[in-house]
Amino acid sequence: MRIAPDYSKEFEKIAEAYEKSGGKADNLLDKRIASIIISGDKVIGLNNVEGVEIEAGKQDLGVWAKIRILKGKKIAMPIHLCTGFLGKEGEQRINFEFIIEDGASVNFISHCSFPWSTKLTHKMTAIVKIGKNATMTYADAHFHSEEGGVTVISETHAIVDENGRYSNTFELTRTRVGKLVVKMDVDLKDGAIANLESKVRGKANDEINIKESLGLNGKNAHGIAKSTIVATDQTHARIINEAFGNAPYSKGHIECTEVTKGNQVDVATLPVLKVTNDLSELTHEASIGRINSKQLATLVAKGMSEEEATEFIIKGMLS
Amino acid sequence: MLELRDIHLEIDGKVILKRLNMKFEIGKRYTVLGNNGTGKSTVANMIMGMEDYRPQSGRIYLDGVDITDLDMSKRAQMGITIAFQENVRFDGIRVLEYLTLGGKIKKSLEEMKNALKLVGLGDEYLKRYVDGSLSGGERKRIELASIYMLDPKYVILDEPDSGIDMMSIETINKFIDALIKRKIAVITITHREEIAINSDYAYLLCAGIVLKEGDPVEISKYYKSMCDACDHPNEIHLVKEREMI
Repeated sequence: MRIAPDYSKEFEKIAEAYEKSGGKADNLLDKRIASIIISGDKVIGLNNVEGVEIEAGKQDLGVWAKIRILKGKKIAMPIHLCTGFLGKEGEQRINFEFIIEDGASVNFISHCSFPWSTKLTHKMTAIVKIGKNATMTYADAHFHSEEGGVTVISETHAIVDENGRYSNTFELTRTRVGKLVVKMDVDLKDGAIANLESKVRGKANDEINIKESLGLNGKNAHGIAKSTIVATDQTHARIINEAFGNAPYSKGHIECTEVTKGNQVDVATLPVLKVTNDLSELTHEASIGRINSKQLATLVAKGMSEEEATEFIIKGMLS
Repeated sequence: MLELRDIHLEIDGKVILKRLNMKFEIGKRYTVLGNNGTGKSTVANMIMGMEDYRPQSGRIYLDGVDITDLDMSKRAQMGITIAFQENVRFDGIRVLEYLTLGGKIKKSLEEMKNALKLVGLGDEYLKRYVDGSLSGGERKRIELASIYMLDPKYVILDEPDSGIDMMSIETINKFIDALIKRKIAVITITHREEIAINSDYAYLLCAGIVLKEGDPVEISKYYKSMCDACDHPNEIHLVKEREMI
């Protein structure tokens, strides 16, 4: 990928932010890797490879992008999506449309980095269409500033056609959250499989709102929606995991683990299971509370302090 | 030396341990034998310093230092550790990280492999997660390997054969031998006389008191002939019997 000279300085900063969030900036310049680099309301880099068609443009306060994976194409290297905002204050609106055509297969690595923003609202909407026998994995990692002034509102609507597979993971574990609103829903057709997973660590007065929803609408559709939240200090968290069993032999499992530390956290989880077809099976697991005392004792008996043991356990849960 | 002197411990008003005296020396192998419900695990948890297992009277000494009021972390730092009866899962933590406690323990890869080999596991386990993907028996072995990595002075093994198939008692004995070679005292809590007979010294516990102590073969014989058939005699009977010994 070539970065336009006008944007070379901006790319350097975006690359720095990208690396902070765990990405490898070299990958953004690798011609063998499809990628798109967004800074504020500009597309400062875009690279297509065979089988991948990315179109993008400017929109009010942000960027739209349409990403198409052509029929039957198996994209060997993950597509990198880099979204950054270099200013301290502002709003960024991103609209993605993913079309994974029949029989195609692709992995996405997305990094959203706002390490210098003190008052930013980032709104992202994604429409995902996964064709028959197609596969898409999407791993989204966020890196925010430590001031807690970032608000992220993320909505993903996915349709997975017959025997398609979709995996979406969201992670915000390394920095302050600020305010987070995540909504993910997926409509699963016959034989389709989905795995939705969110991992978030809140501290200070962070606010976390997550709603994951599985629509098991096709025969033999399977889905898992899983959330792991670590809430410390005055974190406020509300997690809703839903599964709707609307088709025969469909199976859904929802799971929420919320670990709390401190007596000022305010966390709640609400599992919702609804069956409209008596051949569907839905299950759920949920737990809220402090770190498991047996886990703690096992580690403390090895010479760790309670603080060290807690960190060790949390790090594992969020890895 | 680790010494329990005249321990009396109650939990929720119920007497669990009474007039308990035990001594453990470095480099020796001990067994605390007894049926279920006799207070064996309470002894283990009390030595380790777990909350809710603090004696109401009596003292615990480690090399002459009174550690009765020290918490579990401090006792662990002084060289006491335990492999609990129940192995817990640690989601997202690989065996390699677990054995080194996230880098807190500085050991070479070779030492980790040796620890795994000692408990009958191959190198490939280093990359596995200490979660539900491992069986209870595998997690027990990982736990024992992690104990081996710590270089402690006193190791308590609470029912080490639970969760492992019968064939693996040989593995447990081999593991204990390896600890003894390193001059570590091993205190095995068990209800199985075939583990007890290999020790240097045994304590037979019944209803919270030491009913007999000494030669492990003799103690095991007594345990097998008397305790298996015993329907938990009441404490008065035991105390009388103890006083007659």
